[in-house]
Amino acid sequence: MAMRIGRVGLFFLLTGLLTLLLAGGAQAMPKCLVCHGKPSLSKTLPSGRVISLFVDEKQLKDSAHAARACTDCHSDITAIPHKGEIKRVSCVRCHFKGNPVGAPQKDIYLEYGKSVHGIAAAAGNAKAPVCQDCHGTHNIRPPKNTASQMNRAHIPETCGRCHLAVYSEYRESVHWKAFQEKKADSAVCTDCHGEHTIKSHQNPESMTYLTRVPETCSRCHAAVDVVGKYGIKTEQVATYGRSFHGIAIKYGGKAVANCASCHGVHDIRPSNDPKSAVYIENIPKTCGKCHAGANVNYAKGKIHIDPTKREAGLVYWVSLLFKYLTISVMVGLVGHISLDLFRRLRRRKAAHEP
Amino acid sequence: MNEGQHDNQAAPGVGVDLQDPLRRELEGEIRRAVEAELSEELGQESRDRVVTRLKAELIEEIQARVARVKAELEAEILARVIPAPAPREFERFSGNFRAQHMVLLLSCLILIITGLPLKFHEARLSQLFFDLVGGVQVSTLLHRIGAVGLIGVGVYHLFYLVAFREGRRNFLELFPRPKDVTDLFQMFRYFLGKRDETPRFGRFSYVEKFDYWAVYWGMVVMIGSGLILWFLETALQFLPKFAADIAREAHSDEGLLATLAIIIWHFYNVHLNPEHFPMNRTFLTGRISEAELRQYHPLEYEALMASQTVRQTPPLDLATVGPLPVDPMAPPTVGHGTTGPPGQQAP
Repeated sequence: MAMRIGRVGLFFLLTGLLTLLLAGGAQAMPKCLVCHGKPSLSKTLPSGRVISLFVDEKQLKDSAHAARACTDCHSDITAIPHKGEIKRVSCVRCHFKGNPVGAPQKDIYLEYGKSVHGIAAAAGNAKAPVCQDCHGTHNIRPPKNTASQMNRAHIPETCGRCHLAVYSEYRESVHWKAFQEKKADSAVCTDCHGEHTIKSHQNPESMTYLTRVPETCSRCHAAVDVVGKYGIKTEQVATYGRSFHGIAIKYGGKAVANCASCHGVHDIRPSNDPKSAVYIENIPKTCGKCHAGANVNYAKGKIHIDPTKREAGLVYWVSLLFKYLTISVMVGLVGHISLDLFRRLRRRKAAHEP
Repeated sequence: MNEGQHDNQAAPGVGVDLQDPLRRELEGEIRRAVEAELSEELGQESRDRVVTRLKAELIEEIQARVARVKAELEAEILARVIPAPAPREFERFSGNFRAQHMVLLLSCLILIITGLPLKFHEARLSQLFFDLVGGVQVSTLLHRIGAVGLIGVGVYHLFYLVAFREGRRNFLELFPRPKDVTDLFQMFRYFLGKRDETPRFGRFSYVEKFDYWAVYWGMVVMIGSGLILWFLETALQFLPKFAADIAREAHSDEGLLATLAIIIWHFYNVHLNPEHFPMNRTFLTGRISEAELRQYHPLEYEALMASQTVRQTPPLDLATVGPLPVDPMAPPTVGHGTTGPPGQQAP
């Protein structure tokens, strides 16, 4: 009983404190905006870079943190004018598991520490993104909100702020174009690279590591309820799996083509696009990346073949021929063996009977 | 006559129990001779007749015994002199031929073990296999080692067929003939109980010919398609990509067909067949027993017997033992026709 009272008491104490804080914050905001409400407010970093210190009040009011006081996040600001070095905001002040203010927190966030971004940040790379670089600062919103910079529609743009070259390549791709055509399933950066788990493509655990590419692509391209909706064939993953490329990559082959080796990475285009790596005239060049001396012969014949389907052409007929050859030979041989045994059995019986 | 003969033979003159008619006759004669107070001449004549009769009977008995002992000795001598009538063996496969088979066997074993996991790449056993050998790179290398063996023995075999007398002879024997078709039908009739005997085969039965030509076809398909896949970049300088796809399909399917034929058919014929279980050793020793040769390859056996005098220990010539000192010219002359002629000794 005493324990329960203690907890209830603590709860009231905390909520009371929180209410006070919020009230203080709400009052404090205009104070901050006296300076930070001016669009011209900026600061020159030691590196010479000029950064804006302007805070758009309207943006802040629309954000998920509308009810927060400036100092809830900028906790190192205790006086005006500010003293000492102003540090980056640390989100984990609130976003930790079991936090009392109800800030969202999932275990997956912790994967950030093992991600390529997290490792770089921990190593002291000032350019490595932390939470607010992707999720936004004063404009932070839940990803479901279409105005969020973490909303699927804005992810390429958000990532592109740092990964500019990749972003411009991606904007040429069929994935981006499909996305523009309101095909919301089309892949954005995070669909292939992951979110908090994002890793270097050289890390064997990465979704984009060379042997894991087929698996990553297959999440959409083998799913009838994803790409099937748009009339894209789903058996390409299976036919790749049956090819020497597919088998070798599954069982530890490294010098072997995955989806991206032929189709491209960020700038994947449809095969009827003359700029596509798999456009028929580009096939010798594409195959030639691995197969020395590749010529037009490489383009004669389909690439993704299912020998059990008529579209496979001659391969289908050869497969059919062998199927019936094998069946008939086996029927003949097993028949011969069975008759032989049958005769032996009869003779043995006859020998035992008087 | 027969009875008398039988009596004579069964009643030796060793004085034991002369059988009734003879005894009675002799006793009567003796009694008459003693009681009748015969003249000197008559008594002498009577004695002579008795002596002659006894002599003839003794000769007959001795001859019978000698014949019996002779037969026993003969059997014993034959058994010793020609040791355990050594089951004769013939060479069926030469060392050269067996070496080819051995290389083929080992190559196929490697190729099958490293090839099937590629065909059944979705099976868990394949996963286990690749984990075990250390990935697809290692299994590829092993597969190519097997391929070198297979190609090597294939090329050598062609050379063997041309350059060796034995090779040429075997090849001619292996060539399909109309008889193979009739043999097959007769074999089915035998299986169904409509014949009591299997057809009579020559050096190679239709089963062995099928095995040989199946391997021949398999080698052509597997080596041809395998080389395209091995030297893909070179092959694609001349061939369109779909030819490589066909090669891959044929390689995969024929590989399975060959594997099934080996596991089901060849293993049955060599190992599981009740006649040879657990194994017909001819592929190791190269030898086949005379009985087996006669049973499974009667035509070859007969041709062999006809064409060559097979060296063998000559059977013991009983003539050299010489005749026994028996006087064949001493027929019993005692009357009443109770004795048969001499010389009717046991064969």
